[in-house]
Amino acid sequence: MATCFYFLGKKIFYFENNEPEILLHRLYCHTHFTNAVKCCIVLHCIRYRKWIFNVIESDVQKGKASATALANMKLNIEGLLVYFPYDYIYPEQYSYMLELKRTLDAKGHGVLEMPSGTGKTISLLSLILAYQKAYPLEITKLIYCSRTVPEIEKVVEELRKLIEFHCKETGEANNFLALALSSRKNLCIHPEVSALRIGKEVDGKCHSLTASYIRAQRLSDPSLPSCRFYEGFDAIGRQVPLPPGVYNLDDLKEFGQKKGWCPYFLARQAILHANIVVYSYHYLLDPKIADLVSKELTKKAVVVFDEAHNIDNVCIDSMSVNITRRTLDRCTSNVETLQTTIQRIKETDAAKLKEEYRRLVEGLKEANVARVTDVYLGNPVLPAEVLQEAVPGSIRTAEHFVGFLKRFLEYLKSRLRVHHVVQESAPQFLKDIFQKVCIDRKPLRFCAERLRSLLRTLEISDLTDFSAITLISNFATLVSTYSQGFTIIIEPFEDRTPSIANPVLHFSCMDPSIAIKPVFERFQSVIITSGTLSPLDIYPKILDFRPVTVASFTMTLARTCLCPLIVGRGNDQVALSSKFETREDFAVIRNYGNLLLEMSGVVPDGIVAFFTSYMYMENIVASWYEQGILENIQRNKLIFIETPDAAETSMALEKYQEACENGRGAILLSVARGKVSEGIDFVHHFGRAVIMFGVPYVYTQSRILKARLEYLRDQFQIRENDFLTFDAMRHAAQCVGRVIRGKTDYGLMIFADKRYARADKRGKLPRWIQEHISDGSLNLTVDETVQMSKHFLRQMAQPFRQEDQLGLSLLTIEQLESEEMLKKISQMAHQA
Amino acid sequence: MASLSEEVLLVLKKVRQRKQDGTLYLMAERIAWGPEGKDRFTVSHLYSDIRCQKISPDGKAKIQLQLVLHTGESSTFHFSNDSSALTDREAAKDLLQQLLPKFKKKANKELEEKNRMLQEDPVLFQLYKDLVVSQVISAEEFWANRMSTTNTENTLSDKKQDVGISAAFLADIRPQTDGCNGLRYNLTPDIIESIFRTYPAVQQKYGENVPHNLTEKEFWTRFFQSHYFHRDRISTGALDIFSECAKQDEKGNVTHLELYRYIRSGVLNVLTAEGLPKEKKIGGKPASTSNPNRTGKENSNSAIIKRFNHHSAMILAAGSRRGDAPNDQASETSSTDGNSRDSDLFQPPIKKVKLQEAIDYLDLQREDGPKTVALNLKKSDRYAHGPVPLESQKYTTSQDIINSITCIRHEMANYVPNLAQVLTSSAVSSAIAALSPGGVLMQTGTQQAINQMVPSEVQGELKHLYIAAGELLRHFWTCFPVNSPFLEEKVVKMRSNLERFQMTKLRPFQEKVQRQYLSANITGHLEEMLQTAYNKLHAWQTRRMMRKI
Repeated sequence: MATCFYFLGKKIFYFENNEPEILLHRLYCHTHFTNAVKCCIVLHCIRYRKWIFNVIESDVQKGKASATALANMKLNIEGLLVYFPYDYIYPEQYSYMLELKRTLDAKGHGVLEMPSGTGKTISLLSLILAYQKAYPLEITKLIYCSRTVPEIEKVVEELRKLIEFHCKETGEANNFLALALSSRKNLCIHPEVSALRIGKEVDGKCHSLTASYIRAQRLSDPSLPSCRFYEGFDAIGRQVPLPPGVYNLDDLKEFGQKKGWCPYFLARQAILHANIVVYSYHYLLDPKIADLVSKELTKKAVVVFDEAHNIDNVCIDSMSVNITRRTLDRCTSNVETLQTTIQRIKETDAAKLKEEYRRLVEGLKEANVARVTDVYLGNPVLPAEVLQEAVPGSIRTAEHFVGFLKRFLEYLKSRLRVHHVVQESAPQFLKDIFQKVCIDRKPLRFCAERLRSLLRTLEISDLTDFSAITLISNFATLVSTYSQGFTIIIEPFEDRTPSIANPVLHFSCMDPSIAIKPVFERFQSVIITSGTLSPLDIYPKILDFRPVTVASFTMTLARTCLCPLIVGRGNDQVALSSKFETREDFAVIRNYGNLLLEMSGVVPDGIVAFFTSYMYMENIVASWYEQGILENIQRNKLIFIETPDAAETSMALEKYQEACENGRGAILLSVARGKVSEGIDFVHHFGRAVIMFGVPYVYTQSRILKARLEYLRDQFQIRENDFLTFDAMRHAAQCVGRVIRGKTDYGLMIFADKRYARADKRGKLPRWIQEHISDGSLNLTVDETVQMSKHFLRQMAQPFRQEDQLGLSLLTIEQLESEEMLKKISQMAHQA
Repeated sequence: MASLSEEVLLVLKKVRQRKQDGTLYLMAERIAWGPEGKDRFTVSHLYSDIRCQKISPDGKAKIQLQLVLHTGESSTFHFSNDSSALTDREAAKDLLQQLLPKFKKKANKELEEKNRMLQEDPVLFQLYKDLVVSQVISAEEFWANRMSTTNTENTLSDKKQDVGISAAFLADIRPQTDGCNGLRYNLTPDIIESIFRTYPAVQQKYGENVPHNLTEKEFWTRFFQSHYFHRDRISTGALDIFSECAKQDEKGNVTHLELYRYIRSGVLNVLTAEGLPKEKKIGGKPASTSNPNRTGKENSNSAIIKRFNHHSAMILAAGSRRGDAPNDQASETSSTDGNSRDSDLFQPPIKKVKLQEAIDYLDLQREDGPKTVALNLKKSDRYAHGPVPLESQKYTTSQDIINSITCIRHEMANYVPNLAQVLTSSAVSSAIAALSPGGVLMQTGTQQAINQMVPSEVQGELKHLYIAAGELLRHFWTCFPVNSPFLEEKVVKMRSNLERFQMTKLRPFQEKVQRQYLSANITGHLEEMLQTAYNKLHAWQTRRMMRKI
């Protein structure tokens, strides 16, 4: 039934939904009304329905009580009441929520770019939480995907804060379940298993304790080891749902410890009914994992990929297979084990194998039913056609299948024996395999599924041993399923070392949309967001989806706290560039050294410098050492350098932070696309300047890359150069974006390559960086850069207070609700 | 003038100075040189005046030793004894090397301290000028009294503050070519200390080998030849005593790394965390793997990188190592407790705090705590130069003023005059007349305020005189009661000091004043004070005489 509100005889309000809460929220949030008008409306309401009055009264009182304590942020995002757990809000956060809301309303996908440090996560969470509360039937779940464990933990903490705030404001007990999920390595509480610390080993050990047939064996032989946490979970935990609340990884462990339940399996089960799930990309994108974990997640969910600027590479990685000779050797031994096991079982328990055979004849009906009824997330490795058919006769019996695998292996071995590089498409490969060893396409396609079934039947306890053969079978299925989007490259040796035979078969995915397609198809809304997604139009293209909203927000700033400078020349007018021809040029290296030296004397605390590749950095460091530049730099700051070793790098990183902390100041030399450039923030004094030496192009001579570029050109009409530049610039932006982590932070961004000045490069930087590059700072010499940096740093060193920001880049609720500000915000958003 | 009561530590004959043969004496507190056959020193330097010594390089024809003074002057001694010139020089050098630092520190510290005091206290400075510069009392006397107080203050902060290590100290050792295929390194004690502090392994080696196995010089020569110093050299000779150091360092490094691999805490976790996109894929070749046939060049490059990391870490560690060892250790153990053993249950609170920090947006929150008033400077130079006396006002907030007004109003309203104890108006006026300048009660005092009588420079001079006299008198009066021979001596000395003051300072001033303002007797009070002191001394002396008799 619809409700209308009349004011002075004019219809001003109209609702279809009759739920009192929603009505009230909308009424309350509506900005067109002053408080006086609201009162009038309330009076009008009394005539119609008594209950509204009651609810409003209690609400008003509650609001009054809290308003005196703190002017809380209750935002009205196009009629949706959003609780925002801070006293102030950035204007771009408001616009971000607005766009997000529209995306959710349209039940479509979105691409949103907003600079890091402007509270992307909290805006996202508060809006989606509010949406979920307001329309519990339309969105039942939020799936938040992040990249690393620390990031996941961060998100959950923000969520905790938000939900606590929400409860305090509404006065209701929390009925939301939100949890983080990670691998066994991070969740296991079994004292022996968790002590292994290496992901694969933990998984394997866990499996050997908890697999179903092992537990079945234990019934007859109680002496077998078991995991008491899993047993506890299985006995009681399964039936008892996790009580509402926010569970970080540590909370899960604590809870598990208290109850004696396995936190990993508890979490695995709980994500099915949780309102908010936070986990890694791979749980959705990697078909092997997604099939286990995320298959049954509800369709009415919002999926968020945060820090998604690299999502295409994650997709590609999850679908690519590399086969070396070692893999094949291990496969051979795997197959032998299989064979002996089959032999043994045949003698003892032939019925089991027969049972399996029967099942296979019936086909993979189960899975098919599930997919048709739309309960499962599609698995790209398990193509739809496979589900409708029975496993072909040629591989139905166990012995036949093992024989089939053997043949396949021998074929692969022969392929690896080549002495020249081979590149072919999937159909070519299939044709060749049919001609040489008479393997048909159809049985190949069932390979992965058939192997899984066999392993289950044979009750193999430790699956980690069989990773090689699983890999091969996945390869077989993929190669026979997809005729497009993949390429096969066989390289007999590495380019740098032609004398050493090290044959590798790359089965490389070139189309990131294959892996992500099920996600887009299954879930109602998918949001791709990051600090650096420019140029925005390329992501929908390469991921092959049609977004309903595409938006980029800049950082509103009360003071210009970032200073991008493009250094194109040395003091001796030598053009600075890392391009291949001048890479070894002494003059360029020397000028780069001068730049770093001069900056080390000007910039306080920490400086981070990025090189285009590890090799390049090694060479430059060596020649700087010979020229004595490093010694001079050492007079100003300590030097730390990233190495390929993760542990060594993290040690260097910690020392770097220590040196920044104690005031000595330090320089960190690292590599774009390296470990430092991605996950680590250099807040405040940990990074006052970033210097980007050169444009971080990928290694363009790689065959895989070439194949991918070709594919992009043919399929998506993206020119090679465009893609390469896009890829280089997104990494440059990532590196450079490490310094600014908020509006109170400040930092220099120095692009030391004259090519950055070109419009095609500059134009691909995110808008929030681009708009601060002035025409005057496009081709600076080292000296000019130093002068401008000095000026900038001196300005930034002035005290900066909240009052300076208020009204410009920081808004109170009153300011936000003012007509003028709303107009301004919408204007800014439209520029995007 | 050669007071040979001093202890002579070393006598070297046949030392030339300014082309004159002579003898060099190293004494307890100074170094001196006298020409042959004469009984006096033409050159004499206190050790505390010497800044540093320089020696001529080996192989030079002339074997010389140069002393550079703080003033910048220098004197050069040429050792000309044919047979033992070198050993003589070495002996002198070694002795000086031991002696100089002792005096350097002492002298510098004292001087610095005194200098600081004088600079900080203008009154003291004036006093110093009045009393010491004009030679009323000697500098030692002046300081004797002061330093004792400062010394007690300073014992607390006596712990020497450590100087940090320059990151580039190795770079500061600039090798110089000597023209014939050799390199010369200049080492100062500072650099050596830096090396030892940064690389304890080298210090250990030094302790083990010098002086019984190697001379100091050989040790450093080897150090500079070793790959330990040259970071890009890889091969090590078997002879190299530093290869062990390198190994030791390497070992330390490796254990550190091992520890690290197990520590999974906070931000650093990022590097090993799951789900990091394998970036290398897209580029095809992994950037750098442990490739067996990397060229030597590449190997040395990565060695440089490792060394740089190591060197920087060592310097950082050297800074904190000195701090306070027990404290350091405690924090270290606690941190390992927090980090490495967190495998199962013990969630380090550090992690929680870090997470909280990471998610907070400070500027989105209202600032808590008391509201402070921002200092809004319209003219910052006025702030820098301090308040102008005319406008100096006590700062009161408007609330204060309002409060006080209401307070006063309240008092006024309740005011009841106590009429019983009031003087008559005539008595009051006579009392005021008596107390005014020129009145009955003010006869003895100066009739006019001094600032109306004399110009300001005379006033200033008078003030200085008062301060100086006060200081001297303070010295004088502290001697009473005289109960030790030292005090007896001092009191007599102070008397002569006072007399000298009267003669050299007070008299000229009096004469000057009299020349200008004949009538004004403004120094009367000063003289009175001095006279009182003399009287007291006289009384004491006569009493003592009486007692002796």
